[in-house]
Amino acid sequence: MTTPVVETINLKKTYMLGKVPVDALRDINLKVEKGDFLAILGPSGSGKSTLLNMIGALDKPTDGKVFIEGIDVSKLNDNKLADLRRRVGFVFQFFNLIPRFTARQNVELPMAIADLNKDERKKRAEELLDIVGLRDRINHKPTELSGGEQQRVAIARALANNPRFLLMDEPTGNIDSRTASEIIQLIKRLNEEKDVTIIMVTHDQLLAAQAKRIGHMLDGLIINDAVN
Amino acid sequence: MKVDDIFSYAFGSIKLRKLRAGLTTLGVVIGIAAIVALLSITQGLQNTITVQLQTGLATDTLIVSTGRGFGLGGGGGTNSGFKLLVTDTQTIDKLENVETSMAIIQRVGYVKLGETVRTTTIVGVDFAKYTSIYSSTFVAESGEIPLNPENETVVVGKRVSDPWKNGTLLCNVNDTVEIIWTNATARPPRNETYTGHVTAVLKEIGGFGIGGPSDSNVYIPVSQAQSFFGTDECSQIIVKLVNSDKATIESVSKAITNAFSEEVSVMSSTAVLNLLSSVFSIIQLFLGGIAAISLLVAGIGIMNIMIVSLMERTREIGVLKALGMKGRTVLLVFLCESVIIGLMGALIGIASGWGLANVVAIVFRGGGGIGLGNQAAQAGTFGAMTITPVLTPMVFIGALVFGVGVSVVFALYPAWRASKLKPVEALRYE
Repeated sequence: MTTPVVETINLKKTYMLGKVPVDALRDINLKVEKGDFLAILGPSGSGKSTLLNMIGALDKPTDGKVFIEGIDVSKLNDNKLADLRRRVGFVFQFFNLIPRFTARQNVELPMAIADLNKDERKKRAEELLDIVGLRDRINHKPTELSGGEQQRVAIARALANNPRFLLMDEPTGNIDSRTASEIIQLIKRLNEEKDVTIIMVTHDQLLAAQAKRIGHMLDGLIINDAVN
Repeated sequence: MKVDDIFSYAFGSIKLRKLRAGLTTLGVVIGIAAIVALLSITQGLQNTITVQLQTGLATDTLIVSTGRGFGLGGGGGTNSGFKLLVTDTQTIDKLENVETSMAIIQRVGYVKLGETVRTTTIVGVDFAKYTSIYSSTFVAESGEIPLNPENETVVVGKRVSDPWKNGTLLCNVNDTVEIIWTNATARPPRNETYTGHVTAVLKEIGGFGIGGPSDSNVYIPVSQAQSFFGTDECSQIIVKLVNSDKATIESVSKAITNAFSEEVSVMSSTAVLNLLSSVFSIIQLFLGGIAAISLLVAGIGIMNIMIVSLMERTREIGVLKALGMKGRTVLLVFLCESVIIGLMGALIGIASGWGLANVVAIVFRGGGGIGLGNQAAQAGTFGAMTITPVLTPMVFIGALVFGVGVSVVFALYPAWRASKLKPVEALRYE
C-alpha cells in the first residue's frame, strides 16, 4: 500500500479567542490518496479553513498528527515547514496574486523561491499558463485580468513546483457563476488528465458535487465522508 | 531564493512606491551630503593651510617672537614688557646647530604712488639672509633683489605692484614710491614718510604667508627700518638651522627659550603642523558628528516607512510564506530594500555633498576678490587663499558604509518583524 498524500490522526486545533479557548478542529481523521479529489463542505466556522491550513503546513496542530507523504508536520521547524510548503499548491479565494507582477512573473514566483533558474522558470510558467488557458495573457498584470483569469493564474502558480496536492479555499467564492463553472471544469480536468490530487474547501454544494469524494464538516468534526 | 531574485524583488517593491522611497532616500541624501560637504571642505581647508604653512615656514627654520607659550605668527602676550631686539640675533647665532638668524621689523603702513595710496605691511629684512632662507618664495619676478641694498631700496610684493590682478600696474621696477607709516608715539602723532626706489617686484606667492614673504608686503632693508621706525625692537627673529631634523628643531627651540629666560616663544613648522592637524581632527569629528545627527533622523524615517510598508504588505508576506519562502528570505528582502535606499542615498549624497563643497569653495574664492582699491588689498591677503575641497577615499568609503549601515540598522527591526509573521495570520490580514 502506498503512503497517503495527506493523513491526519486525531487532529486537534484550539485557538485562544481573547481568553476563551475555541476548538476549531476537534478530532479529525482524514486520509487522502494520490489522485483524489476531495471536497470538504461545511458552513462558515465549521473549521474548514483551519483544516486546510494544517494540511498545507501553514499552521501547527494543538494535538494529533498531520502527515504529508509520511512526513510528520509537527516535528518540523519553520524552515523545514517552508520547504514543505514549496510542494503544496495553495489556491485562495481572493487569488492573492502579487499586483505588480505579470501573470508569468506570478507563476514564476514560487519557482524563484525554490531556486529554479530563470530559463526553466520562464518556460514552465508559459507552459502552465497555456494549460490554464491564458496563453495570450502572459504579460498582463492582475488588474488587467478578470476574476476568473486571475484565479487561473493562481492555479497555474499553485502547480508551479509540481505540488504533491492542491489546496483550494473557496476557489470560486469570488467569481461569478458562469466563470466559476469554467474554473471547476479546469480543476476537474487537472485532476482527471494530470492526476493532480486536490483538496478543496467550499460551502457551495454545486461545486462540491463535482468532486470524487465529499466530506461534510461541522463544529470541528468531519461528520460524513463518502465517495461521490 | 537567489540573491539576484531577492534583489529584483526588493527593487520592484521600491519602484512601486516611488515617491515614498524617494523621500526616504532624500533623508539619507541630506545626511550624507552634509557629512561629505563638511568633511571635504574641512579637509581642503586643512590642506590649503598646511601648504601655506609649509611655504611660509621652511622646515629648517624657527620663528622666534616675544611672549610666553605658543604664539602663531608672533602674537602672544608681552605682559612682562620684554622686547626682542635686532641685536638679539647675535645671541641666537652663537647657539649650536644654528646656521644664521635674522631680525624682522614690521609696521602697518601705506605706499603712495601719485594719487593712489594703498595699505600695506612694511617689513624690514636682511635681503641676503631673507633670500637664502625663503629661496623659493622671496624671488624677483622683475628687477633684482640686491644683496647689499642701498638705503632707499624697496622690494614690493606682487599685489602691491598689480593690486587688481589685471595687469594694470600701480608701480613697477625703477618707480619711485613714497612709504608712509603713522608714528603714534610722537606728539602729536604724525606720518613719517620716506621715498624709496623699487628695485624688484616679487613673483606671486599666493596664500596668506604666515611667517614667510607675502604678496601684499613692502620690503625695505632692516637698517633702514630701524631708523625709519626709530626702534631696535624687532617683531620676529627667523632662525635658520643646519638641518631639519626633529632633534635639532627641539634642541634649538629649547636653547633659544632658555637663552631669553622663557620670555620668547619659538615656532617651528613641525609644531605648527602637528597642532594644526590635531585641531582639524577635532573640527572634523565635531562637524561630522553634527551631520551624522541628520543621518540618524533619516534612519528613523527609514524605520518608520518600513513599518508602514510592513503593515501594507502583511498579506503579501503571508502569500510569500505560503509559497514556501523562508523567514530569513523575507528578512533579506526587507534588508535588501533598505540597502538599495541606503546605497542610492549615499551615492547621491556623496555626489551632492561634493558639489556643495565645490560651490562653497567657489563662493569663498569669489568673495575674496570682490571689492576695489584699498579694500581689495585688505581682502587680497585672505582672498588669495583658495580652498580646494578634498574627497579622500576614507571619506568616500566611510560615507557609503555609514549611509548603507544606518539604513540597514534601522531596517533590522521591521525586517525581523516581517520575517516572524505567522503565515496564517498574515494571510488573514485585511
